[in-house]
Amino acid sequence: MKLTIGHLYPDLLNLYGDRGNIQCFRKRLEWRGIEAEVIPFLSGSRTDFSRLDIVLLGGGSDREQELVCRYMKEIKSDFKNYVEDNGVVLAVCGGYQLLGKYYKTDKKMIEGLEILDIYTEWEPERLIRNIILNSPLFSTPIVGFENHGGRTYIGNHTPLGKVFFGLGNTGKSGYEGVVYKNVIATYLHGPLLPKNPQVCDYLLERALKRKYGEEIKLEKLPDKLEQKANNYIVGRYSDKKYVLKETIKRYT
Amino acid sequence: MRLRSKLAIRCAKLTSTLIKKLNRGSGVTLPGYVARLIDPEILSVMSGMVREKTIVTMGTNGKTTTNSILYHALKAEGKTVIINRTGANMLNGIISAFVLATDRKGRLHADYACIEVDEIASVRVLPQLKPDCALLTNISRDQLDRFGEVDITYNKIKTAVLSVPETKLILNCDDILSYTLTQDCKNSYVTYGISEQIFDDISRSEIRESIFCRSCGKKLSYDFFHYGQLGIYHCPNCGLKRPEPDYTAENIVLHDTACPSGKPSDGTMEKGQCTAASAGTTEKEQRAAASASIMEKEQRAAVSAGCATQGSSSAGRPILSDRMYSFTLGGMEIASQARSPYNIYNTLSAYAALCALQAPMKKFKQTIEGFDYGNNRESVFMINGARVQLHLAKNPIGFQQKISLVLKDPDPKDVIIQINDTYQDGEDISWLWDVDFQYLANANAATITTNGTRRHDMGLRLKYEDIPCSSTTDLRKTVEKLIAEGTKNLYVIVNYSGLYRTNHMLTELQSITKGGATS
Repeated sequence: MKLTIGHLYPDLLNLYGDRGNIQCFRKRLEWRGIEAEVIPFLSGSRTDFSRLDIVLLGGGSDREQELVCRYMKEIKSDFKNYVEDNGVVLAVCGGYQLLGKYYKTDKKMIEGLEILDIYTEWEPERLIRNIILNSPLFSTPIVGFENHGGRTYIGNHTPLGKVFFGLGNTGKSGYEGVVYKNVIATYLHGPLLPKNPQVCDYLLERALKRKYGEEIKLEKLPDKLEQKANNYIVGRYSDKKYVLKETIKRYT
Repeated sequence: MRLRSKLAIRCAKLTSTLIKKLNRGSGVTLPGYVARLIDPEILSVMSGMVREKTIVTMGTNGKTTTNSILYHALKAEGKTVIINRTGANMLNGIISAFVLATDRKGRLHADYACIEVDEIASVRVLPQLKPDCALLTNISRDQLDRFGEVDITYNKIKTAVLSVPETKLILNCDDILSYTLTQDCKNSYVTYGISEQIFDDISRSEIRESIFCRSCGKKLSYDFFHYGQLGIYHCPNCGLKRPEPDYTAENIVLHDTACPSGKPSDGTMEKGQCTAASAGTTEKEQRAAASASIMEKEQRAAVSAGCATQGSSSAGRPILSDRMYSFTLGGMEIASQARSPYNIYNTLSAYAALCALQAPMKKFKQTIEGFDYGNNRESVFMINGARVQLHLAKNPIGFQQKISLVLKDPDPKDVIIQINDTYQDGEDISWLWDVDFQYLANANAATITTNGTRRHDMGLRLKYEDIPCSSTTDLRKTVEKLIAEGTKNLYVIVNYSGLYRTNHMLTELQSITKGGATS
């Protein structure tokens, strides 16, 4: 078996350790004896979605997103078809915003891919902190770090999870991210997958199922270290005293 | 002086005394806060009392070292210089530095002020300080959770610089982001840069911050990269290119400490000539040497130096990381104690600033040759016959440099990596994934141990490169164990908040065991 992972525009969208997500996909396939091929599509090169089983759209600064926008127009319909055909996508931060209709920054209007019926608007106060979600898709919480100026309004879409600690899509809604077909779009980096192997395996299973047609149960991996890293953040923010201390520090 | 300022100074000093008496920390920021409460214009008043020039140093990497070089160079010329303490580079810390340097009557006696300024604080500090020159080391990825994005850092610095149009800029023109300031600000400026390739492949890594043209958005073309986005660039579309720097370092050679005469006559050996004849040369070294010409220069230097060194390990082998750089600055040949190519940049930028200010430089060569770049940030300890190195790595580019340093040492070693996530360190540790840790697989490391609040994240980073490691919550115990049973060659790499405590702990261990004495 083999999966092909397309990393879109790593030269422009490569913030906050996005490479870690690619590495996680790759290693968790290899450790199970499944071949993994990663194809980086640099800005300006042709993206052939028919070859891809997983697409990673990472984060970038507002300026870089604007540049990406130019290249996006060329792949807009191919990308949409890929998603509607149950193609697996992980979109993080800037990539999440780009899947929507638009991102209105303080200066400009960045056009999105219009794959999701969502939009993002910039506000001066950035939402920066550790974040923990409870998602109905997983029994383990999802942990990560959020850092975004944009507030994303997801309309009727299903969120990825409910915010246990942190700010989420708008800082007020109490929810974070979007799940649509085989797309997971989220503000969580950290990077997302290494500390949340349940999310990685969920996406891998979906991609394998789409490619090989049958229900594929992935072999369990020894994830002790992953659990420890995940538990550490959950434990820290389940401690009310710690949360209070951190809040006081933040505002003084 | 205004009464208000006098009162502010008096109260700040009282606060400082109180803090020290009560043993409540080092007291470097609160006095500044108190002074500012009483007199909001205190910094302007104080900086106005500096007799000659005020220099500020900003940038992601190298601020503290560069500022320290400036300080020592000016002191060597007999000048009275004010400097802010490491880490006290926000508004209150800077005010404290000035206020606490005054005499009993609240007067300042200083010829120069060398002030390190945090990028976020620069927006408030610069307009009050009105420095004569502002030195910018580089702008790259650092503590993104504080700064948001590197563009936000850039905009902060831009805003700060725009508020002081009279200030002369000292810019690294190898850094496209820094150089862009010349388009966005009308300030006069001088540039510095290095035209030789001095960084090896490993320290370059893949983090490229701004390889897109700032004026037209097309992809920049690079002759080569130094590290990060620093390098020799040009835009094939609009013609923007890295200018010929006003100040540069040349004839850069890394050579053995004991044999300064052993350095090759020039650094121009061609690629592929290296014969790797040194007795200590391993296959790994040869591989690394083939990858970059700088490595060849090093080996040549080692070969011609005969490999007899001071500071060699107990087995009498040369320790490669004890090699230091020599280079030429404006015709001055300098045999520095710099171990990493970074510090050549730091020295060059300080040189450029002093030249631009027309400061006296009679003793510059002497100062630099005696300058200890260590700065607590890379200290070497001898504990019970084991060599322990402490290194600070607080962002991906810095960490990459440390990995390159570890790889240059072919001897077996133990490595401890401590990662904390306090506000000072940066709460977001995702930058660990921007470091090319895969090279550590070839570092001849007997053990790798992770420590700190985010030790499991660090462990995961290594796990996903298939590099085995363990973790510990008791750093001291682990260090003691490795000193007793390990390779006698220990690297401790920490990020910011662990630096002082670890330094203190290692100093203590060293003094208990009286250095190299074997039991």
